[in-house]
Amino acid sequence: MTDKEIIELYKSGQKDRAFREIVDSYSERLYWHVRRFLCSHEDTDDLLQEIFLKIWTALPSFRGESQLYTWLYRIATNEALNFLNKQKVRSALQFESLTTKLEEKIDEDPWFNGDGMQRMLMKAIQRLPEKQRLVFTMRWFEELSYEDISEILGTSVGALKASYHFATEKLKSFLEKNSELF
Amino acid sequence: MKSEKEIFEKIGKASYGVPEGYFNDLKNRLEAIPQEKSVLPGPWARVRPYLAMAACFVALLVAGNSLLRRTVSNNPAEQLASDATYAEIISMTHPEIFMNAIEYESEDMTDEDIINYLIESGVEMEYLAYSGGNQKY
Repeated sequence: MTDKEIIELYKSGQKDRAFREIVDSYSERLYWHVRRFLCSHEDTDDLLQEIFLKIWTALPSFRGESQLYTWLYRIATNEALNFLNKQKVRSALQFESLTTKLEEKIDEDPWFNGDGMQRMLMKAIQRLPEKQRLVFTMRWFEELSYEDISEILGTSVGALKASYHFATEKLKSFLEKNSELF
Repeated sequence: MKSEKEIFEKIGKASYGVPEGYFNDLKNRLEAIPQEKSVLPGPWARVRPYLAMAACFVALLVAGNSLLRRTVSNNPAEQLASDATYAEIISMTHPEIFMNAIEYESEDMTDEDIINYLIESGVEMEYLAYSGGNQKY
């Protein structure tokens, strides 16, 4: 079912069914989207419940000015960033950095099935500034267009391209320094 | 030197996994959200916390009132015992003076008593006459 059909379904009063269609189409995509930021299956699982609860409560206010999927991604991204900000405060209170904590999560995650280089790349991504991390993840892993990312993050396409460029430069430099592969 | 794209392509994208059957379980849980949230609290449920708060406030008032009734008794014997306790507590005041003062206060004093007290304490008669002359009954 297309996004347009889902919206039509919702407007026709079949709200539960429309929501089920959203879950069916987007739960897995949003899971991976959030998982790459949170670096933990358990945290992602908990947060996804909250994200879809927010989607359900916010659906009546969806006016169709943006695409449904960018609207869903925006909710998920904001929730993930809120979660990370809370983690950041908690880490600061324990005199730790969030980056270190996220790197530890990658190391401790029993569901991480990547090799050494993939692990290193994931860790390197956590060291990027927030905007660069978001852009790189959405562009490289999820292959979203700059236009869609722009709609999700509310940033201009030009600024996103610059962020992506800086992110790849930093990652390349980090990987070259820390790996024998290149 | 390799380009960024080559480097990242060589590394690959897949790196996370999930427990088996996780996404089916996730979908089932998420699809249940509308049913769970459709049971909106009725007016009674919304007012209930405020009523409970008001009831607590009233209970506190009643408890405080009954506590005061118990501690501040009208029974003269109990009152005397309580005054004696105060006299003991107030170390600056001699207990005997304190108790005597209470005794005087507790009796009905007449004007005659007051005049006698003033005469005995050495207040001059002219002053007494002056004060008495200014009284308006």
